[in-house]
Amino acid sequence: MMAGAARVFVVDDDASVRKSLGRVITSAGYTVELFASAREFLACPPPTGPCCLVLDVRMPGVTGLDLQKTLAGAVHRVPVVFVTGHGDISMSVTALKGGAVDFLTKPFDKKALLDAIARALAKDTRDLATEARIGNIQARAKLLTARESQVFALVVTGMLNKQIASELGVGEKTVKAHRARVMEKMRAGSVAELVRLADGVGIIVTAA
Amino acid sequence: MGLTWYLGVDVIAIVLATVLGAWWLLRHRAAGTRAQRLLEDRLRFETLLSGLFAQLVHVETGGLDAALEGALRQMVTFLGVDRGNLDEYVEGAPGIRVSWTAPGIEKLPSVLAVSEFVWTAETLRRGGIVRFSRAEELPEDAALDRRCYERLGTRSHLSIPLHAGGPMLGVLSFDSVSSQRDWPDDVTNRLLLLSEVFAAALERKRIELSLAERLRFQRLLSDLSARFSGALALDFDDEVHGALRSIVDFLGVDHATLLEFPRAGVPARSWTIGEATDAGHVPWLMLRLREGDVVHVSRLAELPDEAATDRRGCLALGVKSLAAMPLRAGGVVIGGLVFATGFAERGWPHELIEQLSLLGEVVANALAWTNAEREARRLRQELTHIGRVSAMGELTASLAHELNQPLTAILNNAQVAQEYLEADAPDLGELREILSDIVADDQRAADVIHRLRALLKKGALEYVPLNLNDVVDGVARLVRSDMVIRNVPMILDLTQDLPNVCGDRVQLQQVVLNMVLNGAEAMGEPNGRPHALVIRTSRAGAEAVGVAVEDSGTGIDAKDLDRLFEPLYTTKAEGLGMGLAIARTIVDAHGGRLRASNNAGGGATFQFTLPIAAERAR
Repeated sequence: MMAGAARVFVVDDDASVRKSLGRVITSAGYTVELFASAREFLACPPPTGPCCLVLDVRMPGVTGLDLQKTLAGAVHRVPVVFVTGHGDISMSVTALKGGAVDFLTKPFDKKALLDAIARALAKDTRDLATEARIGNIQARAKLLTARESQVFALVVTGMLNKQIASELGVGEKTVKAHRARVMEKMRAGSVAELVRLADGVGIIVTAA
Repeated sequence: MGLTWYLGVDVIAIVLATVLGAWWLLRHRAAGTRAQRLLEDRLRFETLLSGLFAQLVHVETGGLDAALEGALRQMVTFLGVDRGNLDEYVEGAPGIRVSWTAPGIEKLPSVLAVSEFVWTAETLRRGGIVRFSRAEELPEDAALDRRCYERLGTRSHLSIPLHAGGPMLGVLSFDSVSSQRDWPDDVTNRLLLLSEVFAAALERKRIELSLAERLRFQRLLSDLSARFSGALALDFDDEVHGALRSIVDFLGVDHATLLEFPRAGVPARSWTIGEATDAGHVPWLMLRLREGDVVHVSRLAELPDEAATDRRGCLALGVKSLAAMPLRAGGVVIGGLVFATGFAERGWPHELIEQLSLLGEVVANALAWTNAEREARRLRQELTHIGRVSAMGELTASLAHELNQPLTAILNNAQVAQEYLEADAPDLGELREILSDIVADDQRAADVIHRLRALLKKGALEYVPLNLNDVVDGVARLVRSDMVIRNVPMILDLTQDLPNVCGDRVQLQQVVLNMVLNGAEAMGEPNGRPHALVIRTSRAGAEAVGVAVEDSGTGIDAKDLDRLFEPLYTTKAEGLGMGLAIARTIVDAHGGRLRASNNAGGGATFQFTLPIAAERAR
């Protein structure tokens, strides 16, 4: 991954800390965008491409933890590196449970910050790839008819054609034909592969 | 004046009776020329007498001595004698003599020893008069007196004791030096009448002087009280010296020393006007003072044998006479007041000693009071400091945050700069900017430390003109992070052009800090209602300004409202219960008022008002 392609967002209400963070991150070759408050950050268009957020915990108005909660609802979860001048254990637990990559207590070494940023960006890159794959699978799954979707859901639970036919109240031949179309539309070579794809779509496995 | 009026009536009655008598004589016995001469003589005397009376009654006290001298001159001329003397007795001091001596006649020496006129003095003391045409007429047991009269050239003499219904006030006497003369009874009787006029004048002088003296003493007492009650400032020593100076001036002595005996943990102290008297010089005196005795000697010879060291000490210091008062407070002797003369011996009459005892009481009370007040003030300051430290303790977390911000920025910037320096061609412009940011952040950290230290320091009180807006601003800077951590929005509503108050900055900031922390604590988490802590400064009437801290918390329970400011009363789990008690003590000491009330729309308001500082005339 090219560092230059990755973007790092910094949200800290303290101007001099914000500016110095910007310098450190820029010096590591990342593109930095600075925000004085959570609101300011949220007002910007959602990021595309690998990125991460360096976020101050304590800020007047919307706090860092509030922002983390808000972001958790988004399609793409931006990895968060928390920085705080005053950290306590419960606060860091909340942050890490909420999916934070790291929780740094000010003042921190440049290396600690850049390491955390690197990990966050790696995670984001991975997440983006996973998202892309899932998106792909979900696009294929959309091609399935309602009956094919039913068959798909039952096939991945390990049911035999006969069992599926009885379950759906159709002939075994019909099931066989649906199954072939599912394999084709999902571009799966084997049932094992189909099961892996089903993981990506998620919802289907529970179908009963 | 009642007394003068009474005496006046008395004498006028006598004069009237005599004049009427003379008129009667003139009408019925005008036949004989001798009688007529007598009559004229007598009329002349009556005229003189009423003239003298008028002069002496109407003259001001200050001009009395001159008037007496004038009266004596007229008497001497009238009687055809050579010397007229008026010797006034003064208790505990040499008498005062007013005299008139005819030209060409030797004046009397200024002091006549009583020991040389024993018989005369005794006769006068018993109320008798002394008169002789020739010294030989004096009785056998007045042999000494006779020799003395002869030595003074006195050929004929008349002495009349002066009374005004009380003890002897003095003696009126006439000497004939150039010739010998008789003192017929009618002349003597007239002179007795005259002596009453002189006695009245002396009595009036005595009363008026003692009245003036008493007024002067009253003024001294009130001066001392005023000095000591205002002497808690740093210039305590100045005030004590001032007080001693005014006592010295009042008494007309040369040295004065105020001693404070050592107590548990407090060393002995002393203040001196004039020559410093070292306690080591006068061990006997110190012992007597410690035992609570009043000591006074007019002459060093009066010191007892066991005070031999003291006598030597006094000689070495040039002390001629002294008086010492023990100072008692709460039944304990805490020190002493010692007065001494260095130029002349002086008596310490009973009345004076009584006044000195009274002075001693005032000084002892003042000393005890200032000591107690000083101790109380020290404790109060200690307590105030503890209160401040504990309030600051509550801010620890936010202050760490406050310090961490600049430290973080400095570390970040410094590490980037290091990296830049390793480049082949470092960007000097960028480096310069980084360094200036580092300096700014360092300054910021230093400011935090400075504010902290200012509030934590244990300094002496410093009353200076202050603007309450500045006081509030200082506190607001200090608690800003804390309010962010607590998630309490803080709003400053400061009235511009607020007149100054006079106060101690640190203590007033402590009060505001306490109010703000209390308010923030009461607020907790936002729960839908308006959620803010408002710090407001305003005018409070024409003569005061105030600070109010308004929270939107739970308000104060009615049962707590009354006891809120009591020491050790707390509604908090971790509170000491001293914060508000200390705050109220501070505000009281600044002449202001601190109170708490519930807001109509929920929450509570703590506010204090302080009097506006008087404009200093420059």
